[in-house]
Amino acid sequence: MTIAAQAGASEHSVGRKAVRTALLIAFSYAAMLIALLFFLFPYYWMVSAAFKAPGDVTAYPPVWIFEPTLENFQELFDDLDAMRALTNSLIVVGISTCLAIIFGSMAAYALARFQIKGKEVLALEILLFRMVPPIVSVIPLFILARELGIFDTYWILIAIYTSMGLPLAVWVMRVFTQEIPKSIEEAAMIDGCNRLQALFRVTIPLMLPGLVATIVIVFMFAWNEYLFASLLTSSDAKTLPVMTAVTIKPRAISWGVASAAGFLMSLPVVVLALLVQRYLVRGLTFGVVKG
Amino acid sequence: MTVISIRADDISPPRAVRESIGPWLLLAPCLTVLFLVGIFPLCYSLWVSFTAYHPTNPSFDEGFVFLDNYIAIFSDAQALNALVETTIFTIGSVTASLILGLLLAFLFNQDLPGAAVIRTLLLIPMLVTPLAVGITWRIMYYPDTGVINYLLDLVSLPTQPWLSSTGQALMSVIIVDVWQWTPFMFLILYAGLRSSPRSPMEAAAIDGASRWQSLIYVKLPMLKPIIVLAVLLRSIDAVRTFDQVFMMTRGGPNLATDLVSLYLQRVNFKFFDLGYGAALSWMFLIVLALAVMMFLKRTGFMNFISGKDQL
Repeated sequence: MTIAAQAGASEHSVGRKAVRTALLIAFSYAAMLIALLFFLFPYYWMVSAAFKAPGDVTAYPPVWIFEPTLENFQELFDDLDAMRALTNSLIVVGISTCLAIIFGSMAAYALARFQIKGKEVLALEILLFRMVPPIVSVIPLFILARELGIFDTYWILIAIYTSMGLPLAVWVMRVFTQEIPKSIEEAAMIDGCNRLQALFRVTIPLMLPGLVATIVIVFMFAWNEYLFASLLTSSDAKTLPVMTAVTIKPRAISWGVASAAGFLMSLPVVVLALLVQRYLVRGLTFGVVKG
Repeated sequence: MTVISIRADDISPPRAVRESIGPWLLLAPCLTVLFLVGIFPLCYSLWVSFTAYHPTNPSFDEGFVFLDNYIAIFSDAQALNALVETTIFTIGSVTASLILGLLLAFLFNQDLPGAAVIRTLLLIPMLVTPLAVGITWRIMYYPDTGVINYLLDLVSLPTQPWLSSTGQALMSVIIVDVWQWTPFMFLILYAGLRSSPRSPMEAAAIDGASRWQSLIYVKLPMLKPIIVLAVLLRSIDAVRTFDQVFMMTRGGPNLATDLVSLYLQRVNFKFFDLGYGAALSWMFLIVLALAVMMFLKRTGFMNFISGKDQL
């Protein structure tokens, strides 16, 4: 009797547990759906505004179903010289990303593989550069750029974006290098490679995924940068964000064109970053957290 | 034997010497760039901060005023306002995104089917150009025609003035920052959650702890280093926020969203008071450095950075 009662009770509790688990799962999916809506809706709104006819962007009540048009993009390329800004952005960001990665990897390799006095302090100092807010260094750079005659040229932006990407590149690459045992390199050197060959044939291929993620992150920060670009260029070297900001004139704001520019700007970063998202954590935390 | 070894040394420079120059050659380009674009401008700015540098006004050009600029900061109500707004903005945004990020990390840690796709899509906000984020939210925040008020109206909630009211503007720009950077917090915290060992949780379960208890008393303390790191990185970025807020409000209305970076931009590039701007920048830098140092000390984070402890 008691045994039967106990069995009944435990059956009952098993049933309750199943209900609770089912409820938890339902609740979890609901929460995920809400999160998805909240975090994706603004981006959806931007993309849809980019393809709406000018009058529809700020129409009230909002237009949900519309015929997509390329009018905004047309205006962007015809009137605002988006091609020029796009080229500028690609040149400036491309060169500075390459430089930051090359110089950064060199420094990282030195810090990871050689005995240097005070290298921990050096690494920390390199990291500290990340903490200086851009607005603080923009005045001296502005004055210097004018005096050196490189205001509104590629040079000033390339220099700045390279220095912006360097701390990140050094730190992430240092961690990656440390993770690959020195003995693998030494084995290659015993087999007849010199240090450089060991680096290029053994270490770098092993670091490749991390390297690609680092490139994407350095690229992203430079590509999205607006403050320096807006204050240190005026027309010749203006990048995509600067051109986008110009669409917001005090009087005649064309939100559709601005959204189109925003969509255009965000597209390469979103695609690239989602492709390497597995390694993003590593890069964004300066190599400290494993993804 | 010895003769041979001396000969070998004659042919190429001694290995010890090569090894000691080599690393510095590798470090040279990096350090040169950081010196030229990082340290040198900062030193230059320190010098400018002692002058009344004003490019549009040649008669006052570069007059040495020593500490006048710094003294002026203490009677500058707008500077104080900017510091207060930036502090509220940073603390508000970082706290909210930390809580949301943690909740999301726990939510996705359950490994429900289909969650991986959603997780990837959630990363999008932090990838969008901040400037474009500012533009989009400004459209959505419009009190009369914006989609947010439309949706509020649809579910019979009172519509809000958002960016156009002094009282709500700061909250509104914080919401945008939380929207953009919660994914960043989530990404880091989720990675931390995945890499932390499972056995303590199992032990807690055996000892009779409920799900919530083991989450709060076992998992959260284990996550602490990761949380500290995420908060540090996020705060450093929040303090420098410029693009989105500049696009949405330009610091208004009534300086309600006038963050330090926006105020500095106005002093430098609207009033061209570069000497004063440089002094303000240095003051800001000092306050920031003190805050970061205090944070690092209190959380014991220095040990992680210097590699004594593992995350």
